[in-house]
Amino acid sequence: MASRATEIKIPVSFEEALRRHEREIMRFLLRTTRDREDALDLFQETWLRAYRAYPRLDPDASLRPWLFRIASNLCRNRIRDLARRGRVFADGDYPDHERPRDADGGTGGFDLRRAIAALPARQGQAFAMRKFVGLEYREIAEALGCSEDSVRANVYQAVKKLKPLR
Amino acid sequence: MTTMDFEKELREFPTGGSGDETMLDLALAEGRRRLSRALKRVARPRARVGEIDTPVGPLFVAESERGIVAVRFIDGADFDRELHALRERFDLAENRAAANKVGDEIRRHLAGDNSALTHRIDLSLVPSEFQQRTLRALTRIPPGAVTTYRALAEAVGAPDAQRAVGNTMASNPVPIYVPCHRVIRSDGSIGNYGGGVERKLALLRAEGFRIGDALKLSEGVVLGHRETRIFCRPGCSAARRAKPGKTLMVADSSLARGMGMRPCGICRPA
Repeated sequence: MASRATEIKIPVSFEEALRRHEREIMRFLLRTTRDREDALDLFQETWLRAYRAYPRLDPDASLRPWLFRIASNLCRNRIRDLARRGRVFADGDYPDHERPRDADGGTGGFDLRRAIAALPARQGQAFAMRKFVGLEYREIAEALGCSEDSVRANVYQAVKKLKPLR
Repeated sequence: MTTMDFEKELREFPTGGSGDETMLDLALAEGRRRLSRALKRVARPRARVGEIDTPVGPLFVAESERGIVAVRFIDGADFDRELHALRERFDLAENRAAANKVGDEIRRHLAGDNSALTHRIDLSLVPSEFQQRTLRALTRIPPGAVTTYRALAEAVGAPDAQRAVGNTMASNPVPIYVPCHRVIRSDGSIGNYGGGVERKLALLRAEGFRIGDALKLSEGVVLGHRETRIFCRPGCSAARRAKPGKTLMVADSSLARGMGMRPCGICRPA
């Protein structure tokens, strides 16, 4: 009667998940949006979505890629919305009043920043996750819903495009 | 530019050096403040959960701020589904110390301490008012006594709802604390149990019942009236007149006396 037929896995609490990953999510959002207010909005939305979906997350699933998938999807949506409203900075040609602010509120131009903004969305996100947050290729692949090889190729292409600009 | 230089520049992007970390800290503090405000509007209640070992097998327990909300036999077929349902309703956080307190009570109870189970109960996982009423009525059946599906249905004012009472027992989220093992069949056989008949036997035996291989209550059982506080032999004419909803089957006369009952003057139980 006292034998153990099933090993249970109690999922990590949401509070603990937040504590473990809030910093790197914020870092990713700041680097990806390049705008403090946008990053703060997306930070809140990422965690609210995660909170709502948390009961349905398989306790065996990797938490980190799942959170980054939410954050990167929200970033992609935000970029799409901004593009619809004409706030596309990818061409590097900013009218003064629309120049994207630095994460600290400044508007200083920085070639690397513009160059990253000009990358295709998937490349930019894979690049940011790898270089700015330090995610493993496996985790990025899970977050972006693609293969590890594809992530490696995206990061490689991004570096190849950015490096000559320096 | 060398690859190393490029990697260094990336690390320091966008503001360079430690300023970037300060900026991140400030943004994080503001982000936390906004998020905590937003989460308050959608937050689920919290529950402490943990796994405990008991003589009736490993159990999973969940305790909300209002009381024990779930006790599950881990080897149950539906455990995953039940854990999922619990996560939909509560924010779970593992807390072994809290679970161990519940485990201590259950172990003492199974060792024969009939006053060991002191935790409050939270029936918020029970969906219907009828089921909640039935389970609350069940908590008034003391250790050492049992009732029947029929008597319990009468006790909650629904004498025709024996099957619904049976279903309520089957879906009881807090077994042991809400003692669905104290409900047996009218013929004296112990009937089924969500955690298995073997566990029901262990619980009833720990509470003082002598149950043989036929899985029926033994001859020593007496019938106690919950209002007159009189107990009788099962064949007593006075006991036959009593409504099933008002009577309990008590393991033996000494336990009935321990519950504050006195023997019937007609059948004079030992």
